[in-house]
Amino acid sequence: MDHAGTQHGDGTGFAYPAREAAIEARGLGKRYRRGWALRDVSFRLPAGRVCGLVGPNGAGKSTLMGLATHMIRPTTGALRVFGAAPGSTDAVLRTSFLTQEKPLFRRFTVAETLRLGHEFNPRWDQEVAEGIVRAGQVPMNAKVGTLSGGQRTRVAFALAFGKRPDLLILDEPMADLDPLVRRELMTTLTAEAAQHGTTVLVSSHMLAELEYICDYLLVIANGGLRLAGEVDELRAAHALLDVPGAGPSPALPPHRVIESRRGEGRPGVLVRLDGPMGYGGPAAEPPTLEELLLGYLRAPDAPPLIAPSARVGDIHDIITGDRKAVTA
Amino acid sequence: MTTLTRDPAHPTRHGQGSRQVRLRLGGPAWLVWRQHRAAFWTLIGLTLLAVVAMVFLRGQMMDYLSDQGATSRKSGGLPADFEKHFDRMFGVGSYLAYIPVLAGVFVGAPLFAGDLESGTAKLVTSQSVSRLRWLTMKLAMPTALLALCTAVLSAVFTWWWSPVKSLSDGLSWVSFFDVTGVVPVAFTLLTFAVGAAVGMLLRRTLVSTVVTLGIVVAIEVVWNRFWRNLGHVMSVSTDQGIGPGATQPDLPAQAEQQGQGTYFLTDSGARLDWTTCLDRSEDERAYTACLESKHVVGWSIDYLPVSQMHTMQWLGAGIMLTATAAVVAFVITWGRKRLL
Repeated sequence: MDHAGTQHGDGTGFAYPAREAAIEARGLGKRYRRGWALRDVSFRLPAGRVCGLVGPNGAGKSTLMGLATHMIRPTTGALRVFGAAPGSTDAVLRTSFLTQEKPLFRRFTVAETLRLGHEFNPRWDQEVAEGIVRAGQVPMNAKVGTLSGGQRTRVAFALAFGKRPDLLILDEPMADLDPLVRRELMTTLTAEAAQHGTTVLVSSHMLAELEYICDYLLVIANGGLRLAGEVDELRAAHALLDVPGAGPSPALPPHRVIESRRGEGRPGVLVRLDGPMGYGGPAAEPPTLEELLLGYLRAPDAPPLIAPSARVGDIHDIITGDRKAVTA
Repeated sequence: MTTLTRDPAHPTRHGQGSRQVRLRLGGPAWLVWRQHRAAFWTLIGLTLLAVVAMVFLRGQMMDYLSDQGATSRKSGGLPADFEKHFDRMFGVGSYLAYIPVLAGVFVGAPLFAGDLESGTAKLVTSQSVSRLRWLTMKLAMPTALLALCTAVLSAVFTWWWSPVKSLSDGLSWVSFFDVTGVVPVAFTLLTFAVGAAVGMLLRRTLVSTVVTLGIVVAIEVVWNRFWRNLGHVMSVSTDQGIGPGATQPDLPAQAEQQGQGTYFLTDSGARLDWTTCLDRSEDERAYTACLESKHVVGWSIDYLPVSQMHTMQWLGAGIMLTATAAVVAFVITWGRKRLL
């Protein structure tokens, strides 16, 4: 699903130019007592994308999200949300964050939970929030503590969407849901995001489902960025070669081998392309997103690949950054 | 924050066309009230109950006093069976003395610890309202309510005590120092702030409750040792010798004796404590000679007069409120920077 390509287009009808970065990180690092959770991460997430954030447990996904929402302060570097510092009024108004635990007041009713959103957010959209709750047949006067996990997630979603954010950050939103509810909520997510031009950053271990909703991708492992860019771009930069077994094959160079896989799934070698595929070589196919992600998760030491659209520091960014710094 | 308006965005659910004007809380005030309303209603309910009880008991006491008439009062002191009323007053007073502990442990400690434990602090701080506004309201509303409730209780109790405070030496003003006037209000606000700070640092409700209890008890111990120093100690002396015929100095009415008993006063104005020459007290002549050799001319007693009570209460409350302000400033600074 690629709604960014079809509906967000090149910025006609949107409040901000398509070139604007929803998130931009430069040299971002966070060190805890036990070591670096995130180290020297630089990327930009263009506005209007639905971006999957993938990485093994403890790779630094939640840290990155905490940094973007001012819950965590960086040790090194900086991060900007629509050009504003996290925690600034502008960034806070435009960002909505749904944490992994999805905390809600258990003794509040659903209606009171939405009232909380109304009282605390000037841009609150009661219709959107109520629509999401009603779609799941969640009774408005039920106490949150009595709801099922799926219903509670739905209420948390409603709260996050009702804020009308320009950037919606979701940390493992689907982990405790059954497949039907998960599918339905993801449809809601993509529909709402497409309708309002919301940028979404969603972390998940459900690789197959990310393929269904994401058009952008950030992969982190061991506290560093491994892959960043559009899904199509990244897939096109790799190929799954039908080379049986292990061992170096004369046909592979100049391509870089990310992972040779046997066992489950399609056998073959995942390579990052570095030049055209030669004639007479092994049969090559673009990998699915899941195959690509699995390859990188299994090979955390593979050199990073940051697509041009995800690189920081082009001249446009520097000019706008400076202008904002001067006016601030 | 509190506005007396009808909110068009939230039509009243009960009945059509009900155009009642009602007190509506908005923003963080609504959340704080909704989240802690059980505690707030309990506080208000207990206060009202205590006020009703005190008004009733005071009425009984006044009836009894008027029945006794003026005769018994003239003879000095109160009749022996006044003790019943006297015990009730002490009983209620000692319950009132627990208010600061309860405020710290049950209102202060869970205030932030509850939100940090359940994660709702993250929920609230990820909304659009600034952390500062939320923290401020979270502290301000319980502070206002506690101040109001303790002020009412203290005022009613003071009103109960005032008709009898000059009637008996048994009802020393010292026993009422902590539960009348401004002291209960200031003490309650201090323990509440301390509880909130502990909860914010420890982030667990149960642990914060226990630790707050310990700290509040420690504050109480220190306070009980310290508060008499807020007064200016006076002394009353005699200079007619200490022979068998000489009388000890009289304390003014309702004064509270201080220091180590009765002192000996020498002709140079110096004072010797009561153990002077004690080793010769078996032999009267040697004892007198010993005291004379030290030029003792009379006795002297230290005391705190009841007239200083008000000043001391305000001074003590001032110190407590300053400490409260410091703790609150810490809570807000820490909460803004390091809450999550």
